[in-house]
Amino acid sequence: MNEAIQFTNLTKLYNNGRGIDDLNLTVKQGEIFGFLGPNGAGKTTVMKLMTGLVQPTLGDVLIFGASVQHQFVQAMSHVGCLIETAESFQYLSAYENLSLSASFYEHVDAQRIHECLELTGLSQYAHEKTKKFSLGMKQRLGIANALLSNPKLLILDEPLNGLDVQGMLDMRYLIKKLSEEHGTTFFISSHLIHDVELTCNRIGIVLNSRLVSADTTDDILKNFSSLEQYFINEVERNGRITSQLSE
Amino acid sequence: MVGLQANYRNELYKIRKKKKLAAGSILSILAVLIGQVSATLINQNLGLLLVNSTELPLMILGVMMYSIFPLFITFLTIDMFNNEYNSNTMKLILTRPTSRFSIFTGKLLALFTVLMINIASVMILSLIIGIIFNFSSVTLIGITRSIIAYLVSLLPLITFTLFVVILANLVKSGNSVFFLTILSFIGMYVLGIIFHQASSFLFISMFDWYRLWISESIQWLKLLRMSLSMIGFSIMLYCIGYLLFERKVV
Repeated sequence: MNEAIQFTNLTKLYNNGRGIDDLNLTVKQGEIFGFLGPNGAGKTTVMKLMTGLVQPTLGDVLIFGASVQHQFVQAMSHVGCLIETAESFQYLSAYENLSLSASFYEHVDAQRIHECLELTGLSQYAHEKTKKFSLGMKQRLGIANALLSNPKLLILDEPLNGLDVQGMLDMRYLIKKLSEEHGTTFFISSHLIHDVELTCNRIGIVLNSRLVSADTTDDILKNFSSLEQYFINEVERNGRITSQLSE
Repeated sequence: MVGLQANYRNELYKIRKKKKLAAGSILSILAVLIGQVSATLINQNLGLLLVNSTELPLMILGVMMYSIFPLFITFLTIDMFNNEYNSNTMKLILTRPTSRFSIFTGKLLALFTVLMINIASVMILSLIIGIIFNFSSVTLIGITRSIIAYLVSLLPLITFTLFVVILANLVKSGNSVFFLTILSFIGMYVLGIIFHQASSFLFISMFDWYRLWISESIQWLKLLRMSLSMIGFSIMLYCIGYLLFERKVV
C-alpha cells in the first residue's frame, strides 16, 4: 500500500495555546481515517494545514509524496476537501458554483458536474441560486465540490453536518464505495462517534493539540465494546497522564 | 498558466453575475447623460457654450476620475477580497490546485479588464452623445485628444486599484476598507495641493495628468517622469499586495 498522507513533526500553535503539536502520522492509500477529538483539540487546524490554508510553525505534510508547503499545486491536484463549513457563491447556482471549480481541472467536464450533482441528490436544484439552499443542501453541494475532480484523497471536516438521516446513510455508502472500488483515501473528522465507527477503518484521537492514539477500528473493537468506550478511555487515560505530569 | 487563466475567467464570470457591475454601468451612463443635459440647458438658458462635441468626453472624464471610477474600483475590490474572506468563499479557491500567485494575479487582471471596459464604455458613449448634440463642432483632432485622455487615465487608476487591494488585504471589514480608501483619497489629494513639490509621490494628484497629454505644448520629460513614477508605484504596490495575500491565514 502506498502512503497517501505523511505528517512529519507537524506543529502549528496559536497564541491561545490551541492548534496541533508535533503530529507524526501516516495514512495509507485506500484507508478511511477518522480523526476524533473534542472541540478545540486541533482537528480543523490539521485539515487547514493539509490544504495550505494555514502554514505550519514546524514540520510538513506530504500528500502522495508532494509537500503541501513546497509543491502545493502538485499536492492539491489529488485532493478534494470540505473544511469547516460548506460555503458557496450565493449569487450563483449550484451548477455555476461547480463549473467555477471545474475550470481548475482539465478532465472535469459538464457531464462530471451533473454526475456529482446526481450523486449528492442535487440534480433538481442544479440551476437554483444557492442563497435559497438549506443547510443540508449547502452541505451536499460542498461534498459535490469535493468529489468533482475525482480526487485520490478526500479531506472532509464534519461531512455529515446538517444532513438528514437518508443523507447520512447515502454519505456513508458513498465513502465506502469510493474507498473499495476506486481506492480513494479519506481523512474525516466528525463528532458523530457512532458514524465514525461504522464508516472508518482506522481512527486517530487528538486531545489538547496532540495525537494520543491511532489504531484500526477492528483492533479497537476487539478490546472495547464500542468506539465511544475507547474514546472515553483515551480521554481519561490522557487526563490522568496530564494531571500526573503537572503534579 | 492554466491556473492563472482559470482564475481570470472565474473572476470575470463572478463580476458579471454581480449587481455592482450593472450599477456601475448605469451610473456611468447617467453621468454622461446628465453632463450633456446640463451643458445643453446652460447653453439654451444662459447662452453660454459650455462644451462642444469633443469637449464633452473630457468634461465627463474630469468628473468620473474623482467620483465613479474610484468608487467602482473600491466596491469591486472589496467584493473580490473582503467579501470572499468574510463569507469563507476564498477557501473554495485557495484549496484548488493553483498557486496564490495565480489567484492574486487573476483577480487583479479581472479588475483591470472591467476597469478598462468601464472607461471605454464611458468614452464611446460620451463621444457619441457629444457628436449627436454638437455635430457642427466635430473634429478629428478633438476625437483623438479624447481617446488619448481616456487611455492615459488608465495608469493612475491601475495604481489606485493596487492601493485599494493592499487595504483590502490589511483590513478585515469591507466597510473599513471603503472609509479608509475615501480618507486616503482625500488626504493624498489635499497633501498634493499643500505640498505641491511632493505631489509626484502622491499618485492621487496624478489623476488629472491626462490634461498634460492633450495640452498645446506637451512636456515629454515631465510625462516620462510621471509615467515612471506611477509604474514604480504600481510594481511596489503589487508586490506588497501579493505578499499580504500570500501570507493571509484563512
